Amino acid sequence: MDWMKIVWALLLGFFIWRMIPTASHWLKHGPKGSSKEWMTTAMLLGGVVLFVLLLMKSVAR
Amino acid sequence: MADLNSISQSKTRSSESILATNKVLRSTYALLAMTLLFSAVMAVVSMYVGIPRGAAMICTFAGIGIMMFVLPKFENSSTGIGMVFLATGLLGLGIGPMIAAYLSYPNGPATVATAMAGTGGIFLALSGYVLTTKKDFSFMGGFLMVGLIVLFGAIIVSLFTAMPALNMAISAGMILLMSGFLLFDTSRIINGGETNYIRATVSLFINIFNIFTSLLHLLGVMGDD
Repeated sequence: MDWMKIVWALLLGFFIWRMIPTASHWLKHGPKGSSKEWMTTAMLLGGVVLFVLLLMKSVAR
Repeated sequence: MADLNSISQSKTRSSESILATNKVLRSTYALLAMTLLFSAVMAVVSMYVGIPRGAAMICTFAGIGIMMFVLPKFENSSTGIGMVFLATGLLGLGIGPMIAAYLSYPNGPATVATAMAGTGGIFLALSGYVLTTKKDFSFMGGFLMVGLIVLFGAIIVSLFTAMPALNMAISAGMILLMSGFLLFDTSRIINGGETNYIRATVSLFINIFNIFTSLLHLLGVMGDD
């Protein structure tokens, strides 16, 4: 159904258009994290990656 | 004496702030639990009624539209709660045909159950970490926003190209990004950056909803569904 793809693309394009000023504001004026804070985040997201890989392995046929 | 008064006032303000944060947190999790349950019920209704894919898509668009344009006008009133249920219910109706399709495959029920358990596990682990440590993840804001813009761009490309690897990469990226948003949104509630529980509920609901659908897609691919 091509009309659905077009509507989805338009909707996502609208989201991008709405989010660009917010993203720009956060990048310019948002708080900056220290390397320790980013390391903690990387470890947490790494844990999520490992967990998802484990789930994928459990259902793999 | 003036100093003692100032310390006392500061302590009162601090305890008031903690009480307000706890109230927002409790209200958010209560509303989140109810909306997740309601959305799941609507997904089951959608599967039993057999809503066509086109109608399901319209429900999804309507749910997103209510969250984006209608909800902000009512987020400070009790009508906002009704709007949250309406939007999440529509998203539940919209996801019904997709779950029904996965359930129809031989390994489908296990895949759907694993996706649900996995989503719950990710949510509990990340929220639990932020709630326990009370760390501030607001520094992730810019990174997450840029990541979301890139991901939306990739989704637009994937709509008009047949690249299974790109679709898998998008699902994996979405899980990571929404996990980051879980940390960001929860820390904003705890540290007083978000004081409206209706807005907080919608943010967490969207994170959980996207993690579930993306995980379902990845597990479906691995299970040959």
